[in-house]
Amino acid sequence: MISALVSVIFQIIIILALSPLLSGIIKKTKAFFQIRKGPSIFQPYYDVAKLLRKDSVISQNVSWIFHAAPIISFAAVMTAGLLIPIFITRLPLGFAGDLIAVVYLFALARFFTALASLDAGSSFGGMGGSREMFVAAMVEPALMLSIFAVALNVGSTNLSYISQTVSGLGIDALSPYQILAFVALFIIAIAETGRIPVDNPSTHLELTMIHEAMILEYSGKQLAIVELGAMVKQLLVFSLLANIFFPWGIASREAGIVTIVLALVVYIIKIFMIGIAMAVVETSTAKWRLFRLPDLLSISLMFSFLALVSFIIVKGG
Amino acid sequence: MAEIIFGSNTMQLLIALILVSTFMILGSTRLYSCIRDFGIQSFLLACVAGTVAFSTGKDEIYIIAVLTILFKSIVIPYFLLYIIREIKVKKEVELYVKISPSLIIGGMLVVISYYLIRSINVISELSSFALSASVSLVSIGLFIMISRKKAIMQMLGILIMENGLFLGAISLTNGMPLLVELGIFFDVLIAVLIMGILIFRINKTFESIDTDLLKTLIG
Repeated sequence: MISALVSVIFQIIIILALSPLLSGIIKKTKAFFQIRKGPSIFQPYYDVAKLLRKDSVISQNVSWIFHAAPIISFAAVMTAGLLIPIFITRLPLGFAGDLIAVVYLFALARFFTALASLDAGSSFGGMGGSREMFVAAMVEPALMLSIFAVALNVGSTNLSYISQTVSGLGIDALSPYQILAFVALFIIAIAETGRIPVDNPSTHLELTMIHEAMILEYSGKQLAIVELGAMVKQLLVFSLLANIFFPWGIASREAGIVTIVLALVVYIIKIFMIGIAMAVVETSTAKWRLFRLPDLLSISLMFSFLALVSFIIVKGG
Repeated sequence: MAEIIFGSNTMQLLIALILVSTFMILGSTRLYSCIRDFGIQSFLLACVAGTVAFSTGKDEIYIIAVLTILFKSIVIPYFLLYIIREIKVKKEVELYVKISPSLIIGGMLVVISYYLIRSINVISELSSFALSASVSLVSIGLFIMISRKKAIMQMLGILIMENGLFLGAISLTNGMPLLVELGIFFDVLIAVLIMGILIFRINKTFESIDTDLLKTLIG
């Protein structure tokens, strides 16, 4: 049993503390598969800390959007973080929004990042922004459909309620629509976090980069915020995967301290497993051509569609 | 009709995975992965047969399941791979309809078959799911036959249709008599052999297995 304020603050601290570590672990796993030593798993912390100490170089031609965009994006992502159950359900701010709010908070963050990329007037920024919007236009319907399939199954769009119900179901939760929606959401998670078949996070090659092209104009403190925002978003997308489909072990806010600590440990293990799985996917596939991406995302759309249809068939809607 | 009590959840899962494998065939552009997905689909079908056998307690359905694994997920895929290797065909599926529209049409076919099945009054929910999955397998198989250029893909299409029929039969009747099933297996095997030989002949005559060329006259 912890109070509402403490749990909110605790959740923010956990999100901020874990997201660079997750990035570091994904990078380390990739390095392991490429038989490199790779940077330490704490490297993202050092990067962010170093960038925070530096001054920003800002083009003279930019408007207020360029200054505001990193902060708005970061705030939007962090707000989404307060709506997603991380390791405790029945969040105090759960009344403020459901999964539709989460999807559109991500969309808001993406919109402002794309807007800022156009603001500086560099050709790379515009290219990145248009590509990001091209991918987003296909990701969003698939994301909504797949989450709707789960929400229909549980009977609510409240994320806390979904993970609580699914964890109460036990092994019965392994229904066909749940699995189809999971596959769809996994593909979407690849696209949302900018992983390899869609975007390569470690490239600065002008022909292939999407996210990196958008933030090319940023430096110093602003870059630190943008980078941290991307890592937090990645953590949140993975938490969405973990806590909608495998919420076992998640604790209610009313539970005792021991249960909550245990839930936190289970959550960290789950997140790292998903991160490692993502790294395996990333090393075993090649980056796809941009114009083949609609194929991948329409597969995801089809899976979520099948999840909905099979739910309707089985439950006789 | 006795309702399958055991593992109704398992059955739903298997049937959904069969649909997934069908969409994987529809969505891939490599011949090899199409054939591999067909093998997976047949394996899942054998699992469905095994589940039915377990829940009804009829031993002969186990034989059918084993035969399905043996023929449909091992012998036929290897035969198809052998054909591809022998005639040195380009390893990409050539399409009349691009991947994304094919997937969308496949989804529409699933919905249409669901509405078709709903008008029939089937007793249990499970068999209505299985039946609509089987009808969608048949229609998607037909769609693959129409929309792909390579003769091998047309062969795969007809095999998918056959799998759909098998799924419908086994989930509705709780297993047909062994003799009928054996006859069907024999039919499929011979059909695959004949189609294989036909593909070799097409390749010999046209130096390609693109069925587009079959429309042009050779004097």
